[in-house]
Amino acid sequence: MTLQWSVVWDNWPALLHGVLLTIALTFTTMAIAVPGGILLALMRLSPIRPLNLFATCFVELFRNLPIILVVYWAFYVLPVLTGLSLSAFATGLAALCFNVSAYNSETFRAGIASIRAGQTEAGLALGMSRSTAFRTIVLPQAWRRVLPVLASTWVSLFKDTSLVSVIAVGELAYTALQIRSQTFRVLEMLTAMAAIYWLLGYPQAKLVDWIHRRMGVLE
Amino acid sequence: MTAVPPRPVIQYEGVVKTFGTFTALRGVSLEVNHGEVVCLIGPSGSGKSTLLRCTNGLEPIDSGRVLFDGVALPAQPKALYRVRQRMGMVFQSFELFPHKTALDNVAIGPITVLGMPRTQARERAMALLDKVGLADKAGSLPAKLSGGQQQRVAIARALAMQPEVMLFDEPTSALDPETIGEVLNVMKRLADEGMTMVVVTHEMNFARRVADRVVVFEKGQVVESGPPEQIFDAPKTTRTRDFLGHLGWQG
Repeated sequence: MTLQWSVVWDNWPALLHGVLLTIALTFTTMAIAVPGGILLALMRLSPIRPLNLFATCFVELFRNLPIILVVYWAFYVLPVLTGLSLSAFATGLAALCFNVSAYNSETFRAGIASIRAGQTEAGLALGMSRSTAFRTIVLPQAWRRVLPVLASTWVSLFKDTSLVSVIAVGELAYTALQIRSQTFRVLEMLTAMAAIYWLLGYPQAKLVDWIHRRMGVLE
Repeated sequence: MTAVPPRPVIQYEGVVKTFGTFTALRGVSLEVNHGEVVCLIGPSGSGKSTLLRCTNGLEPIDSGRVLFDGVALPAQPKALYRVRQRMGMVFQSFELFPHKTALDNVAIGPITVLGMPRTQARERAMALLDKVGLADKAGSLPAKLSGGQQQRVAIARALAMQPEVMLFDEPTSALDPETIGEVLNVMKRLADEGMTMVVVTHEMNFARRVADRVVVFEKGQVVESGPPEQIFDAPKTTRTRDFLGHLGWQG
């Protein structure tokens, strides 16, 4: 068996496009799933029963389903349910957002609950409203505490974006697998794919370690 | 202390507070006059901290009334927020905001609640830190300060709202013995300036020296109330005498 690495170089524009789409998916998902997670966490901590119930169902549903299933579900069911014809990218994005928002919600809920009630009371005693006390006192502290967890979620998400390849979103996994089936250079393309994911993922994992060390010493 | 006739600032009328099956306050009635320093003493769990927390509505009461400046504490949240702006509170565990410097801890009230411009709020904060002797710690995070220093910052934070009344909830109970004095000195100075103060404390010497009136609590009720000379030298009830006796108070 002879290896033909040229297949990787010859297709670099397509691979680069795939990489950019993977990064775009990761960023966009997090940009939506962080506020989404905070919102869900607040709903779960809320005494208003319907809000609480909705958020609990949402979180428990999407946290306990395989992402790939949610991706398929979003692809086949979402258009019927909403009547919208979403692009493959938007569909994949929605599926990832459902999953990651559910995870982030639990992360934020734990972070918010870890800030003792006295902190809110100190804000209230100054005359702050509950929402101001939450925004200026509780959330910034909770944020620092959950940042390492969010960073780990980020790294998982970066790899999990590959799952949307099953609905033909042209991110890195899909692109590499396409080239593989067109050229039959299986070993080369899978190796290249692994190398690219690893090279992009490793610095992120190191960044997470660094955040863990930085944030660990507070208070 | 003042020649003007006493004007009640805080009035408690038959305040009842329960936590589940436990009754923390069994109908407490009390008045705090303008410029007065009232110390609440008594055994742990006697309700004195609960009464303090009912004063600014951190704990809702079950029956009775708490009046501030002649007006009952409002139930409507926004109105309650406005009343709280006029009362400063100092907590046993300081509750400084750990993610903000000493200066920003003091400035945060005027900035977020009063909408004061940052530079002006920081100026006011700096003056107050200077007043509590911590101007050199303005840039320090609370974790870098001693307990006594943290509590002095917390006092400055409450003063930044220019409150009409200061509520102290066992302000020295969490402190190392060597830093208690510096906090009590700041409180003494505040009292001398004429600040109306309600102080829950176990510091009997402070109560004796600084209080205009001492109120003894037991089991959610006021056992005795009077000037410190009466409470400490000639208590009228055996329960006051017993409580002080347990503390080893010799008079």
